[in-house]
Amino acid sequence: MPLDTSTYHLALLRLDGRRWNELRRLHAQISTQASADGSSYLEMGNTKVICTIAGPAEVRGAARREGAERDNAVVTVEIGIAGFSGVDRRRGGGGGGKGRGDKRTTEMQNTIASAFQSTLFTHLYPHSTITISLHILSQDGSLLAACLNAATLALIDAGVPMSDYIVACTSGLTPPKSGTESADPLLDLNGMEEQELPWLTVGTLGAGERVSVLVLESRVQVGRLEGMLAVGVDGCKQVREILDGVVRRQGKRVLESVIS
Amino acid sequence: MPFTITLPAPLSPLHHNEPSDSPSLDSDGDTDMPPPSKRPKLSTRSIVTPGETVTDDPQWMRGHGTYTHPTSPQILSSVAGTLLKTNKLLSIRPLRARYTPEIGDLVVGRVVEVQTKRWKVDLSAPLLAHLPLSAINLPGGILRKRTSTDELAIRTFFGEGDLLVAEVQSVYQDGAASLHTRSLKYGKLRNGVFLSVSGTGGGGGGVVRSRRQVWTVQTANGGGEVDVVLGVNGYIWICKHVGGELVEGKGGRHAGAGMGVNNLEEKVGEGMYENRNESIGEETRWEIARLSGCVRALVEGGCRVDEEMVMRAYEASVEDEGVGGEEGEEGGEYLGGERGRRVVREALRAVHAARE
Repeated sequence: MPLDTSTYHLALLRLDGRRWNELRRLHAQISTQASADGSSYLEMGNTKVICTIAGPAEVRGAARREGAERDNAVVTVEIGIAGFSGVDRRRGGGGGGKGRGDKRTTEMQNTIASAFQSTLFTHLYPHSTITISLHILSQDGSLLAACLNAATLALIDAGVPMSDYIVACTSGLTPPKSGTESADPLLDLNGMEEQELPWLTVGTLGAGERVSVLVLESRVQVGRLEGMLAVGVDGCKQVREILDGVVRRQGKRVLESVIS
Repeated sequence: MPFTITLPAPLSPLHHNEPSDSPSLDSDGDTDMPPPSKRPKLSTRSIVTPGETVTDDPQWMRGHGTYTHPTSPQILSSVAGTLLKTNKLLSIRPLRARYTPEIGDLVVGRVVEVQTKRWKVDLSAPLLAHLPLSAINLPGGILRKRTSTDELAIRTFFGEGDLLVAEVQSVYQDGAASLHTRSLKYGKLRNGVFLSVSGTGGGGGGVVRSRRQVWTVQTANGGGEVDVVLGVNGYIWICKHVGGELVEGKGGRHAGAGMGVNNLEEKVGEGMYENRNESIGEETRWEIARLSGCVRALVEGGCRVDEEMVMRAYEASVEDEGVGGEEGEEGGEYLGGERGRRVVREALRAVHAARE
């Protein structure tokens, strides 16, 4: 059943009460799992993701033969979508390895892997592999963006050198106001808005304007793309501030606890 | 189709939330500096995060954890950590990172692969370390010639899954380590327990490089002597001490310190690569468990792990048990939760008291 988003123009408030340029609550923690090399937990609204990093480490077996000649580390991404994460329960869902064969998941894995392959300083770790494992506990829109943000935090926790944070968020477009051609861009869509509106995921490298990830799967007028992109890039700056705050708080905690 | 993006005015460069965070070396780092010293200095107890500009000043050289753009003299951080200055070299020590091998490190590792002339050893480093057959002590003496028979019998020395203590002899171009065990201090590990904690990669708690990383503890409660081996890669081995029986061909690792090269030959017995454990008394097992509990508590508390801290924590835990003995008999050796924190606090107080 299509959602009624036409009420937006009455009060300029979205379904969950936000204005067009407001992010949802973004909460993150790092170093959540002591046994992993790096780990993080991230919530963007009701989208909840756990990320763990294994590596850089030398892998044995088939993967090694594949990447043996490389002078750079290889970034691999595994996404497990929990069966209870969506609105309808997926059969046999249970996290790890379930996403296999699902084309959407595979595409997300490839997007994340190629984004980090070029941002991490992989030349420092020849012949090794950095594995990013993402576990999606709850989905409510902006899934790819949440995965990218969680992976950035976990990689920082793992101490893997990178040129800057990769931060991501989504932006969408309201339906045109009746009688006019104008449509407002929206920041950080939730699950319901994502089903109804055209939207894109944009990931930038740091607070600048360098876009490193851009995924658009819905149809949108090309003239409106610019506005969506600008709003998305602006949202990424806000996300970077929040993630940077999380890293700094963690750093402070670590330094305070060390008594040497 | 080209389109332009109009953006809001750029943010003031970094240091947004905490202005005090900015490194204190922006413009006049040179004039402030005391006479150059070789020892690296932690500039401040502040954090830099990836992408943050550390300095614009071209006089500084960039070290680990930093990078530059080819077009500008800016030095930027690539990890989250603390700034470290060594003369004119800026490097960033990450808060947490994997262990990177350096020559001379004492490490504990696990054999994961046996090849024709060498073993591959997991050190929890980015790459597996190599242990060549030519870098171990063969039974029958250090000066014995290596033959093809030894190559065929390579699995009798170390097999997959065996734990060993070794020293990093050299580091290859790609960062992989080459190990050696050509001393009676090194070799196969048995009679004990393995612990994996964080190593010397970054700040925070974990094993640090120190003067003594292998020592013998005279344990309380009739536990006898227990050896502790702290590998700087964060792998730790705690085992029953089996010294003084070398001639009998038992436990080649624990020779006395005065052992010379000349009498090595007779002393390296067949038992050096023995796989079976000796019988370990119950009291000893309790004390080994207590020592490993101490190490875990220290790491949990974010403390460095070295001989001094482990010994202080051990003493504190023995005392603590004496105090809390009435509460309940069982579980006295468990050092988690509040008891662990108490032991760590006590150990830190003892260390500070000893310094003054």
